[in-house]
Amino acid sequence: MSLRPKVLVTKIGLDGHDRGSRIVAAHLRDAGMEVVYTPPWQEIAAVVKLAQEEDVDVIGISSLATDHLIVPRLMHALRDAGLAEVGVIVGGIVPDEDERALLDAGVARVFHPGSSLDDIAAFVRDLAARVRSARFPA
Amino acid sequence: MKRDLPRGDDAAAAARLAAIRAGDRGAVARAITAVENGHADAAALLAALEGDLGRAHVVGITGPPGAGKSTLIAALVGECTRRGRRVAVVAVDPSSPLSGGAVLGDRIRMSEVAAAEGVFVRSVASRGHAGGLASATRGIVDLMDAAGFDPVIVETVGAGQSEVAIAALADTSVVVTPPGLGDDVQAIKAGILEIADVLVVSKGDSPLASATVRDLKDMLRLRARRGAWTVPVVLTAATRGEGVAELLDVAARHAEACGRGRRLAGAVQPPGPHDAAARVATLARQDAFLRHCALELLDAGPGRATLAMTVGAEHLNFNGTCHGGAIFALADSAFGLASNSHGPVAAGIEAHVSYHAAARPGDRLVARAEEVSRNARLATYRIDVTRGDVRVASFGGTVYIAARRHAPREAATPAAGARVPGPSS
Amino acid sequence: MNKPLPDPVPASLDEARVRWAAEYAAQLPQDRETRNRSGIPVKPLYTPLDADPSRYDEALGFPGEPPYTRGIYATMHRGRTWTQRQLIGLGTPRDYNARLLDILDKGATAVSLIPCNSVYRGYDMDEVYPELLGTCGVVVNTADQMDTCLDRVDLATTSCAMNDPLPFTLLAFMLATAKRRGVDWRDISGTSNQSDYISHFVANHMFFRIALPGSRRVLTDHVAWCNAHAPRWNPVSVVGQHMQQAGATPAEAMAFTLSTAIQYAEDCIAAGMSPDAFLPRFTFFFDISISFFEEIAKFRAGRRIWARVTRERFGARDPRSWRFKFHAQTSGVDLTRQQPLNNIARVTAQAMAGIFGGLQSLHTDAYDEVLSCPTQFGARIAVATQNILREEAHLTDVIDPLGGSYYVEALTDGMEERILATMADVEAQGGMYAAVRSGYVQKRIGESARAFQAKVERGEQTIVGVNKYVVDEDASARPALPKPDPSLMRSHLAGFARWKAERSRDDVDRALSALARAAQADGANTFGAVVDAAVAGCTHGEICATLRRELGFGQPLVVV
Ligand SMILES: Nc1nc2c(ncn2[C@@H]2O[C@H](COP(=O)(O)OP(=O)(O)O)[C@@H](O)[C@H]2O)c(=O)[nH]1
Ligand SMILES: [Mg+2]
Repeated sequence: MSLRPKVLVTKIGLDGHDRGSRIVAAHLRDAGMEVVYTPPWQEIAAVVKLAQEEDVDVIGISSLATDHLIVPRLMHALRDAGLAEVGVIVGGIVPDEDERALLDAGVARVFHPGSSLDDIAAFVRDLAARVRSARFPA
Repeated sequence: MKRDLPRGDDAAAAARLAAIRAGDRGAVARAITAVENGHADAAALLAALEGDLGRAHVVGITGPPGAGKSTLIAALVGECTRRGRRVAVVAVDPSSPLSGGAVLGDRIRMSEVAAAEGVFVRSVASRGHAGGLASATRGIVDLMDAAGFDPVIVETVGAGQSEVAIAALADTSVVVTPPGLGDDVQAIKAGILEIADVLVVSKGDSPLASATVRDLKDMLRLRARRGAWTVPVVLTAATRGEGVAELLDVAARHAEACGRGRRLAGAVQPPGPHDAAARVATLARQDAFLRHCALELLDAGPGRATLAMTVGAEHLNFNGTCHGGAIFALADSAFGLASNSHGPVAAGIEAHVSYHAAARPGDRLVARAEEVSRNARLATYRIDVTRGDVRVASFGGTVYIAARRHAPREAATPAAGARVPGPSS
Repeated sequence: MNKPLPDPVPASLDEARVRWAAEYAAQLPQDRETRNRSGIPVKPLYTPLDADPSRYDEALGFPGEPPYTRGIYATMHRGRTWTQRQLIGLGTPRDYNARLLDILDKGATAVSLIPCNSVYRGYDMDEVYPELLGTCGVVVNTADQMDTCLDRVDLATTSCAMNDPLPFTLLAFMLATAKRRGVDWRDISGTSNQSDYISHFVANHMFFRIALPGSRRVLTDHVAWCNAHAPRWNPVSVVGQHMQQAGATPAEAMAFTLSTAIQYAEDCIAAGMSPDAFLPRFTFFFDISISFFEEIAKFRAGRRIWARVTRERFGARDPRSWRFKFHAQTSGVDLTRQQPLNNIARVTAQAMAGIFGGLQSLHTDAYDEVLSCPTQFGARIAVATQNILREEAHLTDVIDPLGGSYYVEALTDGMEERILATMADVEAQGGMYAAVRSGYVQKRIGESARAFQAKVERGEQTIVGVNKYVVDEDASARPALPKPDPSLMRSHLAGFARWKAERSRDDVDRALSALARAAQADGANTFGAVVDAAVAGCTHGEICATLRRELGFGQPLVVV
């Protein structure tokens, strides 16, 4: 069975610094993944609808200016839409105490500045495989 | 006798079908994933939905990259929403030939309209398929049709040729041309314009647009009319919402004139290059051996067809190289499709092959069939099988041309089996 | 002063060079190829042979004289050092005012204000998720709140940098405050730091945007209004910083910035303004990366090009129009979360490059900025860094101290050439406005960003603590970061709701419909209507929403 991870790379909240999300999106493509990319400033409800329609395995949220603070709201909204199994990762500037809160809210991992792109890609691939096998048990 | 209670699996399958028919977003999305990735149960699912098909108006939108297709679709979706229609979009983007990955960017242009409740957008990677269309697109369109979306809009990148697939799939094929092609109009004339039911000149707010409309109209005058339908040229400025409602109306008129569900019935058309290509695509779908061998149709036209195959373990002989019979099968299939592309049924009466080089596991073999000569009863073809720049085999063959024409019977074939399988990715 | 080289260069010099080159090659047979971030090859040695001494006057000249390579003022930092401008903003207007007074007390000489991201994005505080309020800047939505922000600050004598994207509501609130305090608008000085809407479309940051044609109109109106009513205010700051942060190389950032300035100048001229009426109040704003010599050369080359463009292309006569005045900020992109105290060393090197590059105003980043918004502790070190460089290290004793360095002069020429080539590319796209609308500039910057990232991933560009010299760190040793006090923010929100309920709805409605009419009418001045709305008690969000409705929302132009 084909496993090309399908990943959504997006930004929610107020900030638009998208250098990081663009580089990550391009790298995941080069690592063989199918990436749905959105511009910044997405509404949480729009991200949930998109994730559902595209049936993505993983959502990557880039946050450089405190927008990670609303990621717990996203996690709730995903659960409410029946998408609890989707893997969510956050990349960007996240202070340590906030990282703990994000992990508690169900985020699979937080990548900080300086993370290697290959590490990110490897993690996303594994996470996607886990999500897929949960969705389509053999 | 007491009837068996439905087993758990059947109940789940029935619930799933009901959810898809009810247009449940999650159920439709999950089913698309199954079709896209060739899951075991996808064929049965599509077969079960066969009776629900043919209601949606399938609009194909194609044209060169940057022509403004996605922006135009966003405007069309907005217009549909205003008219109270539930609309679905399949946006196909090319996969990277190097990594196989893709950035699916069409949706970016649609983010404003995609948020509406009655809109369903799905981005698909072409996964190496020529014709700008992913192999699974047909199944995805079927699912959206069954889920009650109408219209279903399909965006594909047209690089200028091989737009066969979209024409076979869509009820109305819209070719989008950016302004200012000038002399290039001649260049695209032979390609994607041939499949157009409607021509759109996009970016109508740019100064060259009206000149391009004139050029295209001049060009169309030189062409034979396609049956009762005269191909119109519509000028749009999607960023300003201009020409969008008109385009939707024109497309609806085309569906009224030429019908819906072309992909199911294979409407009869007067001959032309577009029809040759579409015919080959249809024949390929109906060919069980092609499917069995996982041969992939890359391109077709009058008197020509190109097929590809990736050498796998099952193709190997005792020497560990590709079996000559497999290569023959590939070349012979291209021969069969090319010789049947014109409409009359053609039957092979003779063929011969020379092998020049070995092929190994993982090699991608491409067989290109060309017509060498053709008269009322006989035609000969030459087929080159290559691996990159290396010629692997040369094949020659002759057909006898029957008086009978092909009557497309695609609806009779189960929907799920009706596609040429793609390379397993 | 340079000692002029004898002409012709003596043969002995060339012989010596050949001898050295042979020796060098013998000792280092496998020399690495070095290129700076802008892609210019860097040689191991520069000598008089790399310079053309006959070009001194034309290429360098003296400080305060065109082409200003050595500085735009005769006295440069010897006369007046740079303005020490720390960007600050946190929490409520009261929090901000306390921090501002502290920083002024510690040696800062001008005011700057960073608003909360919600303000940047054009919203009032009651329109966004409360947890995002005040985390990166001050939550200021009304003239009353601006009055609190600037409490005990003399508006007639203090230069204020407003990080204020169009439609410039913060400036409007400040003008309303001035009016209330009886301060003449003609005495108000400072800069609209985020007026460069083109840069906001190039790099998607957090700024409020209206669609490109509307943005173009509002900026031109702003320049015209300031010309007439606030002549000491700099209405245009062309921002190279966003582009460089988004990944442009230093040469690209300078080129795109100059091309943007050319675009704005042409728009103003098309609106009937004379070049000398607005060019003297054009300012620039750049990022200083840690590529030390490259940054110095970038600034020197930029000055030279601008002097030529203003004189030759626009025919400006007033020398003030020719001067390339810039504020610079040390680059946050170079800072690392790993071993954050290392950032103090990085900021020092960046600041030195800016100083040697001849800046007029400097912001040094706090070392903890990459962890979140800077703490007060971090901000103090950042200010101290500037004081140390100026007064302990004596960097300002000599004007353009690196002028005449064979390397720096050759590199300045090289950067100039790169910058001009990129400007020509933009020109071929139909100018900066067209090149951004089509996505050309975004695409180029995206490519540069990826190329740089690839160098880091391959280890070709060292980043200490990230891809080399990595140490195990105790995450808990990192400083805890301040968040605005939620109870203060709640009462700020409650106060805002009360205030809105109490103001005159009629005045507000009248001002907003006047603003809408101004946006619809071609001859009217939109910024004048924004100022009137601020005075009438309209909020930031109301003003932005009105213009967004009338002129369209500026969708991000995305190119992956
Ligand atoms: N001026 C103008 N630009 C347009 C219009 N439609 C699309 N564009 C621009 O053309 C570029 C490509 O558009 P897109 O829809 O992505 O094209 P696609 O590759 O064919 O899907 C984008 O920069 C659009 O903003 C239009 O009606 N007018
Ligand atoms: Mg597209």
